Amino acid sequence: MKQETGYQWKLGMFVIIGLVLFIGTIYFIGKQKNLFGSTFELNSKFKSVNGLEVGNNVRLSGINIGTIDGIEFLTDSSVVIKLVIKDEVRKFIKKDAIASISSDGLMGDKVLTISAGKISKIVVEDNDNIVSKESVEMDDLLVSVKKSVDNAAIISTELATFSYNMNNGNGALSKLVSDEQFGNSIKKTALNLENSTEEFKKFTTKMNDGKGALSKLVSDQRLGKVIDSSLTNVKTATKGMNEVIEAAKNNFLLRGYFKKKKKGEEKKQDEQADLEEIEMKKELKIGVENDSL
Amino acid sequence: MNTTFVEKKENLIQYFKEIGEDVGNVTLFSLRFFKEAIQPPYEMKEFVKQCYIIGYKSLPLVTITGFIMGLVLTLQSRPTLAKFGAESWLPSMVALSLIREIAPVITALICAGKVSSGIGAELGSMKVTEQIDAMEVSAINPFKYLVVTRILATTLMIPILVFYADAVGILGGYMGMNIHSEVSLYRYLAEVLQSIKFSDIFPATIKTFFFGFFIGMIGCYKGFNAANGTESVGKAANSAVVTASLSIFIIDMIAVQLTDLLI
Repeated sequence: MKQETGYQWKLGMFVIIGLVLFIGTIYFIGKQKNLFGSTFELNSKFKSVNGLEVGNNVRLSGINIGTIDGIEFLTDSSVVIKLVIKDEVRKFIKKDAIASISSDGLMGDKVLTISAGKISKIVVEDNDNIVSKESVEMDDLLVSVKKSVDNAAIISTELATFSYNMNNGNGALSKLVSDEQFGNSIKKTALNLENSTEEFKKFTTKMNDGKGALSKLVSDQRLGKVIDSSLTNVKTATKGMNEVIEAAKNNFLLRGYFKKKKKGEEKKQDEQADLEEIEMKKELKIGVENDSL
Repeated sequence: MNTTFVEKKENLIQYFKEIGEDVGNVTLFSLRFFKEAIQPPYEMKEFVKQCYIIGYKSLPLVTITGFIMGLVLTLQSRPTLAKFGAESWLPSMVALSLIREIAPVITALICAGKVSSGIGAELGSMKVTEQIDAMEVSAINPFKYLVVTRILATTLMIPILVFYADAVGILGGYMGMNIHSEVSLYRYLAEVLQSIKFSDIFPATIKTFFFGFFIGMIGCYKGFNAANGTESVGKAANSAVVTASLSIFIIDMIAVQLTDLLI
């Protein structure tokens, strides 16, 4: 049997490398969990931690800066979370920083995100409390989604009724959509309307160019004044004419003519009255005859 | 008819008696081990030699197995994770599976095959050729020299072999990742280390000590108690492998249950 010698160093190397691997892993995991190096603690109070667990990451501006060290009940409706954060980032966290719980991806772990405050410039101290912002819980989200879905269902039902009526109904809008004849007549109307507007356009253009009589009547200010003064003159003239006629009636040369004319009119009126009387008598006579029969 | 039933009944009782006897012997054997391990003198030279044979000599086998396990696990898990668009979880999933379960169990099974059968056959043949008796005659405590050193060596070496298997398996996973996509080693290792927690490493490490102890103990017990005759050497080796492998699974089940309850 072959005797092996000098195997001790091989065994030593084997054991050392094996232990280095183990201790190295422990060190790196510990480093990630901030077990080595200086850290400080912060506390934040939440109503619900939404499944956040001890060991989850704490992030500031998307960078992992620490871990969750403890989650404890404070009262029946509030939980206090203890965060362990690297000391080197303390200068970036101010007193008014806000802690909120969010998810790392759709299915990922929960993370606690610290967002920077706006006003304070005082850096946090060890064991300080920072305010928290409650995150939107999945249940709340589902409730609002359900509401939207219910509304969408109502809308789609209404839409279905509407489209059915549009396809099968007799209303104007339905005809507008489905009736070809109606569409054609609307098209014709539209064409006529177009022609009419074209004509109207021409008319208004002519009206505005100030050449025709009507156009001048509408747009020429001077003509308007002339007409106005003419009408005033006509009014004065007719007044004068009335006076002249009255004077003529009393004039001895023309008085006879007016009298004759007056008499002729009176005679006409009498004859008219006689005729009406005869007509009445005739009607009465006929009435009596009918009664006797 | 009646005779067969009685025979069967007697056989069954005999079988259970044998089992009870075996368990009793193993318990006594274990107690003797603890007693002898504590009491001086210590066979340091033999212990170091056994560590070398059990640990160092098993390293190539464990390395190859671990590497292949990491590689294969990555390649096999990728399609399922890709379905969910969660390929980025591949490093953490592979690392967790390896560290928590696959590396300890596979390493222990490999060692059960290699070491436990080796110890069983070695001690069995020593027993058959009356070397053990000769030792006693020459004032050397054969239990201390043969059994204690081997059980201690397996108990301490199996965990170290598991660390190697973990590391090599994770590297195998890295190679598996790079077959389909390109990931830098730094990014891969960062992803792996981020996903591992102490609660993943410690229970897995503790159970490997138990694996090691039982591999050594079963091998030694089977070899030390081999019957006379050459065929009993093969029986001892075979029985050592089977029993050690089975005990590994049973210990693993108990360990996982305990971990689940405690952590």
